[in-house]
Amino acid sequence: MTFLSLLVFSPLLGIVLLMFVRKTDAKMIQWLGTAATVPPLILALFAFIQSGRGFRLEQLDEARDWVRLTDLPFLTDTAYVIRYELGIDGLSLVFIVLTAVLATLAAVASMLVKTEKKGFFLWLLALEIGMLGVFAAANFVWFFLFLEVTLVAMFFLVGKWGGFERERAAYGYLLYNGLGSALLLVVIAVLIARTGTANFALLHEMLHNPVAQGQWIAPLTEEGRRWLLGGLLLAFAVKLPAVPLHRWLIRVHVEAPPPVVMLHAGVLLKIAAYGMIRFGVGLFPDEFRAFAGAIAVFGVINVLYGALLALRQRELKHVLAYSSVSHMGVVLIGLGALNEAGIQGAVFQSVAHGLISALSFLLVGVLAHRMGTTDINRLGGLAKAMPLFSGYLLTAALALLGLPGMAGFVGEFTSFLGLFQTKPALAAAGALGLIFAAVYSLKAILDITFGRACDRQEAVVGWRDPQVSAASLGELQGGVVDLQAKEAVPAFILVALIVAVGVYPQLLAAPLDAVVETMMNGLGG
Amino acid sequence: MTLSAYLALALILFCIGLYGALTKRNTVIVLICIELMLNAVNINFVAFAKYGAHPGVRGHVFALFAIAVAAAEAAVGLAALIAFYRSRKTVQVDEANSLKH
Amino acid sequence: MMNLAWIVPLFPLGSFILLLLFGQRWKQASAYVGIAATLLSLLLAFAVLVDRLGGSTYEANWTWMTLGDVTLTAGISVTALNAWMLVVVALVSWLVHVYSQGYMAGDERFSTFYAYLGLFTFAMLGLVLSPNLLQAYIFWELVGLGSFLLIGFYFYKEEAKAAAKKAFIMTRIGDVGFFIGMMLLFWQTNSFDYDDIFRAVGDGTLSPGMTMLAAILIFIGAIGKSGQFPLHTWLPDAMEGPTPVSALIHAATMVAAGVYLVAALFPLYEASHAAMMTVAAIGGVTAIFAATIGLVQTDIKRVLAYSTISQLGYMMLALGAGSYVAAIFHLTTHAFFKALLFLAAGSVIHAVHTQNIEEMGGLWRRLPWTAPLFLIGALSISGVPLFAGFFSKDEILAAAWTNGPRLLFWLAVAAALLTSFYMFRLFFLVFAGKARRHEDAHEAPASMVAPMLVLGVLSIASGYMQTPWFGSFLGEWLTDGTYHHEAAPGWIAVIATVVSLAGILLAWLMYGAQKMPRDWLSARVPYIDELLRRHYYIDDIYRFTVVALVSFISRLLAYVDRFLVEGLARLAAGIVGAAASAGSRGQNGQVQTYGAVTVSGLAILVVIFALTGGYWL
Repeated sequence: MTFLSLLVFSPLLGIVLLMFVRKTDAKMIQWLGTAATVPPLILALFAFIQSGRGFRLEQLDEARDWVRLTDLPFLTDTAYVIRYELGIDGLSLVFIVLTAVLATLAAVASMLVKTEKKGFFLWLLALEIGMLGVFAAANFVWFFLFLEVTLVAMFFLVGKWGGFERERAAYGYLLYNGLGSALLLVVIAVLIARTGTANFALLHEMLHNPVAQGQWIAPLTEEGRRWLLGGLLLAFAVKLPAVPLHRWLIRVHVEAPPPVVMLHAGVLLKIAAYGMIRFGVGLFPDEFRAFAGAIAVFGVINVLYGALLALRQRELKHVLAYSSVSHMGVVLIGLGALNEAGIQGAVFQSVAHGLISALSFLLVGVLAHRMGTTDINRLGGLAKAMPLFSGYLLTAALALLGLPGMAGFVGEFTSFLGLFQTKPALAAAGALGLIFAAVYSLKAILDITFGRACDRQEAVVGWRDPQVSAASLGELQGGVVDLQAKEAVPAFILVALIVAVGVYPQLLAAPLDAVVETMMNGLGG
Repeated sequence: MTLSAYLALALILFCIGLYGALTKRNTVIVLICIELMLNAVNINFVAFAKYGAHPGVRGHVFALFAIAVAAAEAAVGLAALIAFYRSRKTVQVDEANSLKH
Repeated sequence: MMNLAWIVPLFPLGSFILLLLFGQRWKQASAYVGIAATLLSLLLAFAVLVDRLGGSTYEANWTWMTLGDVTLTAGISVTALNAWMLVVVALVSWLVHVYSQGYMAGDERFSTFYAYLGLFTFAMLGLVLSPNLLQAYIFWELVGLGSFLLIGFYFYKEEAKAAAKKAFIMTRIGDVGFFIGMMLLFWQTNSFDYDDIFRAVGDGTLSPGMTMLAAILIFIGAIGKSGQFPLHTWLPDAMEGPTPVSALIHAATMVAAGVYLVAALFPLYEASHAAMMTVAAIGGVTAIFAATIGLVQTDIKRVLAYSTISQLGYMMLALGAGSYVAAIFHLTTHAFFKALLFLAAGSVIHAVHTQNIEEMGGLWRRLPWTAPLFLIGALSISGVPLFAGFFSKDEILAAAWTNGPRLLFWLAVAAALLTSFYMFRLFFLVFAGKARRHEDAHEAPASMVAPMLVLGVLSIASGYMQTPWFGSFLGEWLTDGTYHHEAAPGWIAVIATVVSLAGILLAWLMYGAQKMPRDWLSARVPYIDELLRRHYYIDDIYRFTVVALVSFISRLLAYVDRFLVEGLARLAAGIVGAAASAGSRGQNGQVQTYGAVTVSGLAILVVIFALTGGYWL
């Protein structure tokens, strides 16, 4: 079977074809770039539907020899063999579908990008390959390789197509995430050196099964395991990000072009959640228990800190950036609970926040394009001129504050449900974040859409987004255009998904059930 | 005489050579110090060949190889040095920096 | 029919979705969609009620989400209370739908208005069918959404924006209490189902302390939603919404949801004396507190809003005093007469285009239908005998006397006096006296008068479901026959009558006949007058305490974020930079330096090797 390879590398075809398109042919680039994100989407949805019908995902596993590090006679055949291995389970599948959906929508939203479109799409597709690969990888080496692909692609996407401070944001991103990756690499290297394998399933077997302990190249002490888990968690805490490692996120949210933020907030942050669940809970369950309390505390800090700071911001992108910090805290809360509800909650919250932030930044992109600014102080009363847009923005705000019936509620509810079973007092403190969430999201969105209509000329004077190029500034002179069909379609799809997950969460719970149960068994019930 | 006495001698020789190679600025002295280190290695070879776990002739062979290579190296090194001296009128190591900038 | 009860909320939901998609095209015809949908709901709700009258409770559950071995369900439960609420909500909602056709005619966002009404009705009907706390919470928030959208319907007004935001946030504060309480109950009982929770309360699985804590936390949710002290401040501001909305949401249905919730969880509250006392105390205090503010308001809708808060306080008092039936009874009669009062007020506003009662007067002759209907509502709320309000209020007073602390009883009596006074102050100022301006004021169209007529009839008739004379049908049915009327002393009814007539007389003296100067009280104790006009400074207190505190913390954190966290990040970057420039000094092109570095590196490795034997960790 080469299904997974096809799924992961199919955007490559788009990259190759894009090479032959003339740089100036913006229409063709947009069309081709968007089309290139469709094959993974189709394949991912196909796998999702098939698995819902009882297809066993293990059948998709694939492996090929890749690198043989040594050939020492006293080692077994499998030791120090790094193979090209892909494989998915319910957990990865959920994230893969999320990635594929958001990548297509981000590609559609990229029509607002006007400069150097060809390069933009090349990097965007590379980013998609990286993200899909991260979730499809079945061993540490390939996980890391794909992770680094996303890092590089993001660096260029932010650094070249971002706002005025794009370079600073890009270097901040690279520095923080590079350090995180370095730490991750150390952990991976130690694990491989000790066990001789990088394969998740094999590692899992060797870490848990006492019989398999004999195959260790060199044993690992209890303390050593704890250090490894600590390093792993710290590496992912940078990428999540956990307070106080969040500064890079704020800059990236503000400076990166909105379609890129859709993917960044929507998927890249979730890699950290995925990593913590897959490697933290999956490989080191006993040690994770020792960290659970601290993780929950950090989660609550994240929730409150992000929400309180979001209260003060007067720039819509800042509000959304801090709200991302706050929402990722909920993921930590779910993980810190360390029970079925909590872990499912963490995944739900990841998916929910992915969809919601994609919707928000889709709309932010439109807003920046139409009004030339996302400064809340300069905006107001948009519901008059742009009723459809305002409706969607309000929907996004409601989703953001965790309104029941939308995905955000399911994530928050399940995570808190988990933590209330283990640490009720802490959970109650975290629940205060729900109030602040309502305050900051309504304050920001109502100030933009409700109230007295703003003076458009005044608003435009403050434009600061280089992507709003001279051409669109010319458009600004005319009347304000409401959400157009090509922008409304992705927004509608996102809202539909948010509501679908919110109303019937079983949609996501079903594929996760088996995975979470296995992890719970690892935790010893 | 035990093995450690030979190894100690080799160690002392090697350290003197290393010190000289890293600190002296006169290229001739640096070359001489490198010869010292090579000879320290040769002593080790021979000592191990006589007193090591598997005594035999292999150590001597390697020592001879090392001497041959060292001779060649000294020849090339000195030739390069003389060429350098002709053009720059100096043999100081730190003045050989025209390729650096 | 009860097994079809789940369809009841779906009609308005369908109306919401249809109007959202096609409303712009249908324009004024949108009203018919909304009216038809709610009518269907109403008919079905009636059928369910009739079915329930003779039958027993019906419950059905479907899986909503599985979390390992825990299955969360969604479903419907047709208890007597739920079936009753279903009809009350559907009825008032349908009447308001009909009324709005005339009131909102010509509005630019006519179809949007009907869409929002549909959403609200859906959520409210869903709430009263919930068999478990989680589902109740979900719909609880959704009714809040409906309320928020409709308060902010005139989005271009700054006041409406602020009011909508405030309503959502204030109720959210309560909701978080509800959320925490619900989670604690789940933690203890591993279920959200009412039945399981009651069972746990019954067999002692739930400790008394936890019962009290959960009950009070959930009550905080009810405080927020029902506008009880101290979270009431959003309700008067919510009057920025269109008047039919005030009638439906902020008088008859949503604000009563708090009362409904406590009633639905009644066994939980009954198990904890402290929780019951809290409910009673908050209710009693709110009743008198809001009534005093109502005395000095000059906006017709705000007077009614404070009266709503006060009446909801009554219901809470009844619940706290252990009389579940009295609370639901008053909830029902209040839904009718308060909706009537609001709709009549809407008709007045429709006619004179102002809400300031000091600018009105002499409208009795100009509004031949509205005025008598308003009078019926006012008599009913004042508790004048033979009107619905008399019977339900009497029931509450009796309950407060028998079970509650005496102080709360007297507070309730005082609140009754104030109620009849401010209601008739309103009546005389608006309808009596000389006509001041508004010569062109004319009666509303039939579509507005007809719903008021229905409510007028109900404001009288609904009282006779539960009277000392003809038996207590409602009570017996709601409690499955275990109800027995509290043997309250007969003088309570007399006192209630005297008090309400006294209030009317006083109002007539001051505002009708003008025998007494209007500033009789305010001239004597001006500071009290000022206190009342400023709503006891509650909003200001919040501004200077809670809001100030949160914004202070937020500002503090902003500095921490900008300087401390960013500073640390810069420090880390600086250290890396410094290390880089130090390292690059070694990179000087001298082979000898490179050699030295190599050797020292080797030395360090050898030392590590010697110390650890090769393995670290």
